[in-house]
Amino acid sequence: MPDNRLSELEKKIDDLQMLMDVAAIISSTLDLSELTALVMEKAKQVMRADACSILLFNRKTERLEFDLALSANARDGEILKQQVTLGLGEGIAGWVAEHREPVLVKNAAEDSRFFTRADNLTGFTTKSLIAVPLIGREGLIGVAEILNPRERDCFSGHDLKIFLALCRQVAVAMENALYHKDALERQRLRQELELAATIQQSFLPTSPVMELGPFRLSGITIPAKHVGGDLYDFLEPVPGKAGLFIGDISGKGISAALFMAKVMSDFRYQAHGTVDPGVVLKRLNQQLSDSPRGMFLTAIYAVADQQTRSVSIAVAGHPPLLRVAAEGVTVVNPDAGPPVGIVDADFPVKELMLNPGDRLIMVTDGVFEAKDRDGKRMGFDEIVSFVDRNRQRDNLLALIERRVSEFASDAERADDLTIVEMRCGA
Amino acid sequence: MKIDVGDYKGNTVVSLGGEVDMHTSPVLREKLLVLIREKPRRLIVDFREVSYIDSSGIATFVEGLKHMKTYNGRLQFSEIPQGIMEIFSFSKLDKVFEICGTLDEAVSR
Repeated sequence: MPDNRLSELEKKIDDLQMLMDVAAIISSTLDLSELTALVMEKAKQVMRADACSILLFNRKTERLEFDLALSANARDGEILKQQVTLGLGEGIAGWVAEHREPVLVKNAAEDSRFFTRADNLTGFTTKSLIAVPLIGREGLIGVAEILNPRERDCFSGHDLKIFLALCRQVAVAMENALYHKDALERQRLRQELELAATIQQSFLPTSPVMELGPFRLSGITIPAKHVGGDLYDFLEPVPGKAGLFIGDISGKGISAALFMAKVMSDFRYQAHGTVDPGVVLKRLNQQLSDSPRGMFLTAIYAVADQQTRSVSIAVAGHPPLLRVAAEGVTVVNPDAGPPVGIVDADFPVKELMLNPGDRLIMVTDGVFEAKDRDGKRMGFDEIVSFVDRNRQRDNLLALIERRVSEFASDAERADDLTIVEMRCGA
Repeated sequence: MKIDVGDYKGNTVVSLGGEVDMHTSPVLREKLLVLIREKPRRLIVDFREVSYIDSSGIATFVEGLKHMKTYNGRLQFSEIPQGIMEIFSFSKLDKVFEICGTLDEAVSR
């Protein structure tokens, strides 16, 4: 076999070996920077080139940024990363990104598209190069370049084919690695939310039941998938009184959880030592008036007298209460103030006299705004008639919760659901 | 969610459609704050085609209202469908926002 045929064959075997090596590298890691460094080092070595680089396309700025630049001088990579970005159509890489076409430049000095600033900054002299667009399922990922072949004046069509084959694999691998990175980030955020939810739960009463004189206060809260802003509290603001507080903070997520923590501590501070629930809500309203981003709180605060069994109730833009008695359920919708944290307001106090066995039930809107599979909402009236049908039952809170869960069925719960009860014992 | 900004008798009207909730309200917030930056004397929100609003959506308007109050601007709601009005009255938001039946009623106030 003539020498030139033999060396050609050897070259093809080398190329094939490189593609196999690259495939092995790609399947070995999901770390994007490790992956690109290993693959490009391999490409540089087998294609016998002085340098290579990868520029990533930043979709926000619509510019190419150096992610990796390998050459004899390690400093070059840092200079390019820190000082050079290219717009679409700018330089050869920019042209490739804009046209989504590979390009083989035999002599960079004679190519009008060539961007000289990178060479000026690093002192590197680009002679010949191949630039290939990296394209994934969602469009342009970036551009890969290989520069200056050793022992030859310029790259050949065969080099272009090999580099194209390699870049196809790299694009797929980079896309997978980017998805993996996104998945890790999503996982991290999910963990943060779970942690926030746990911390948030710790602000609620440690026991879901509290007995104060003849009154038994109980609560149930089920957070939505995202951290929400429902809250409730039991307290004895002054000796001889039983306080029950329920609230719903606008919005969801970490911001609602943080705001909820502030509301809880402000509420406890204001409620301690004060009997009038209207005064407590007014002061809370003043304290929360500069809430960020329009956040607000709807709430009911009820204070019962353990001797007389009378209850004072103040409402701030919250859904009405249900009074459950042996003879039926009545909706208590007293004159109310607006939600807390929006405008200066008064919160009128409604007085109710409870008979032994009577119960007051308060819910957040997550209870009656639950959606079924067809997107139909349950509605407040349905809760009222459900409670009425089950008014003799002891475990009303659990029954309501089960009813809502069955109604929402497979539908993802979008809002928190909180139900509290003040029961007047014999 | 649909957000159209138009003019009615020389007043800026934001016409909304669909669900105004935690997923859509960030877009609404951005548009609303851009409009409020111009310090309009009056901003009317047309709710005619709104099918649902949650507390995130309401908070967006509360934020807008707080900005507008700093320069005595007015944020008016008009053409509110029955279902949305129920949400507003449950929340006593008529004590917060200026609620008008129609666009004409809003501009005549």
